[in-house]
Amino acid sequence: MIVPLEHILILAGLLFFLGMGGLLAWRANLIMMLVCIEVMLNAVMLVFVAGSARWGTADGQLFAIFIMALTSAEVSLALAMVVYLHRRRKTVDTDLFSEMKG
Amino acid sequence: MHLYLALILLLPLLGGLYNALLGRLLPRRVGEAVACGVIWGAFCCAVLACVGFTGPVRVEFGSWLAAFTFQAPIALYLDQLSLSLTLMITFVCGLIHLYSVGYMQDDPAWARYFALLNLFVFAMLTLVLAENLPLLYLGWEGVGFCSYALIGFWYTEEKNATAGRKAFITTRIGDTAFGIAIVWMYQLSGSVSITHLNTMGALVPAAIVTTIGLLLLAGAAGKSAQLPLSVWLPDAMAGPTPVSAQIHAATMVTAGVYLLARMFPLIGSSDTVRAAIALTGGITAFYAATCACCQRDLKRILAYSTISQIGYMVLGVGAGALTGATFHLLTHAFFKALLFLGAGCVITALHHQQDIFRMGGLRTKLAAVYWPFLAGALCLAGFPLTGGFFSKDAILGGVVAQGGPLYGGLLLLGLFTALLTSFYTFRMVFVVFHGEQGHSLPPGPLPLIMTLTLVPLALLGLCGGLLNLPAYLGYQGLLDGFLGSIPGFGGVEQPPHADEIALQIVAATLSLTGLGLAWSRYTGSRRAETLAREEAGQPGARFLLNGWYLDSLYWVLVINPFNHLARFLWKRWDEAGIDGTLDGLARLTARLGGLPAAWSSGRVATSLFGLAAGVCVVLVYLVWVTLS
Repeated sequence: MIVPLEHILILAGLLFFLGMGGLLAWRANLIMMLVCIEVMLNAVMLVFVAGSARWGTADGQLFAIFIMALTSAEVSLALAMVVYLHRRRKTVDTDLFSEMKG
Repeated sequence: MHLYLALILLLPLLGGLYNALLGRLLPRRVGEAVACGVIWGAFCCAVLACVGFTGPVRVEFGSWLAAFTFQAPIALYLDQLSLSLTLMITFVCGLIHLYSVGYMQDDPAWARYFALLNLFVFAMLTLVLAENLPLLYLGWEGVGFCSYALIGFWYTEEKNATAGRKAFITTRIGDTAFGIAIVWMYQLSGSVSITHLNTMGALVPAAIVTTIGLLLLAGAAGKSAQLPLSVWLPDAMAGPTPVSAQIHAATMVTAGVYLLARMFPLIGSSDTVRAAIALTGGITAFYAATCACCQRDLKRILAYSTISQIGYMVLGVGAGALTGATFHLLTHAFFKALLFLGAGCVITALHHQQDIFRMGGLRTKLAAVYWPFLAGALCLAGFPLTGGFFSKDAILGGVVAQGGPLYGGLLLLGLFTALLTSFYTFRMVFVVFHGEQGHSLPPGPLPLIMTLTLVPLALLGLCGGLLNLPAYLGYQGLLDGFLGSIPGFGGVEQPPHADEIALQIVAATLSLTGLGLAWSRYTGSRRAETLAREEAGQPGARFLLNGWYLDSLYWVLVINPFNHLARFLWKRWDEAGIDGTLDGLARLTARLGGLPAAWSSGRVATSLFGLAAGVCVVLVYLVWVTLS
């Protein structure tokens, strides 16, 4: 393996926390939040792929593909909900959607 | 005898229940007739019982309280003492009921009035006829309750309701002592039967007899308004006047004397108890007589004179002159009821004026009241040859027979009190009935029944002496012979005839001196001057007017500290301490609970921060695990 596993893990960690920071920072916009979640998921996928390469097994790659399928489903569903919410309230600011408080 | 005794008790009870439950539904005349009829019916039964009386009889009607060895059946005991008291109570109360019909003719609450009056008679008769102490206590508390309810009869006025409560609470102090004595006597002898207890005197240690005697004395002092529990009686005049006559003169207040006389075979064996009883009576008689000299309220004069006269009876019991005490109890019931009913007539005629300085000159205008009232006054003052003269003399004779420095001092006190009694009695008579008219309105009309009831009482008061003429006249007195066989009553040493005659001469002189003093001050030319001076009020007179400031003393000693303690417990202990701690705990919990409530705002951002914080926690944990 040309690139050491640690480097990949560091990159993945950076990506994950960038995504998380973005998630918290852009919480006024649902679309940007979805983008950030994608970034975090990609960081996780990267870890799976790296692990698969490091130990020479296919499980990690399998999971990465699984995640891709899951994400595409999730994004399409989420975007549909965003459109619906925007249609209802003319906004995508999450702070204004608090009806489900328990 | 069985039937008579049952009827004596049941008739007033049924009358009371009738008026309490149905009285308002049926016409007023029916209620009045029932109320008076049952008392006279009880009187007739008492007369029949008296005719058929052959000796003390104990009648048991059924079981009342029974548990293990404790037995307190509904048992009545009719002996000479309870028989004579029953006759007196039913007769005097019967007259007072008749009088009430006139007195209460304009009062809308007559049903409550007659119901309470009848229940009072029932309770009083239970007290007198009871064979065991719990039953006696039942009657004792019954008269206490009826007295409370009747003193505060016109309860819409704060003053009357307060007087009722005062009487109830003050007598309750004595009742507690009496209750303790009952329990103790049961614990000592395993029985609460009065006749049985009275045979126990010799078997019980002297110290315990003394203590029980003092407890009974405290109970009697509460009910009979003796020092130091006398403060309730003057205020009890807030009730209707017939109530004052029935309860606070003729019957209830003598219950203490009856109790002491009844239990005398037990407690009389202790010299300390007898001295304490005699001292209480003597000092109370003197105290109340001084207070009565300066009162302005007609009913308060009579109230203080009642306290004073009962003091005489208690003194008589203390001196062992039980017959004398009973004799005075009977004559006092007649003449004091008479005086109160007469006072009620005067007050009604003067449109509820009670201040004697606003009266005057009623002798001709209210002649039908004046003559009976004068008869009562003569008896109260111990005017020679009236009932009060002989009965008071019998008590003082008993004191003479005891001898010794204590009883000698009490005799002098008693004689001085007799002088005061005569003075204040005639002060009252002269100020109210003599002189010129001291009020603007002319006397109003009186119902005939109110003045008619005075006549038999006046006759009984004046001729009461015939009940028990002194022994030096050559034959045994009626009461002496009748009561002599009761344990404790007989075998009392009589003073020598010469002493008794001397005593009667002294007493007669004192009575006439008091009459003369009052005559010189309150009639003729000096009347206006004396009245003006007394109305202005002097420090000494104010001291006596306020009853030696006994009420203020209680305020300082008992009521104020109690109020302060109660306020402290309420404000500082309960509200600040207990409630404050609990409130603080509750507030703290609520605030703690409010902290995580901010997290459940429902906003997505909050959840996100929670997610991030969770990730950080997991990371920190992993780092910690890795490094350590």
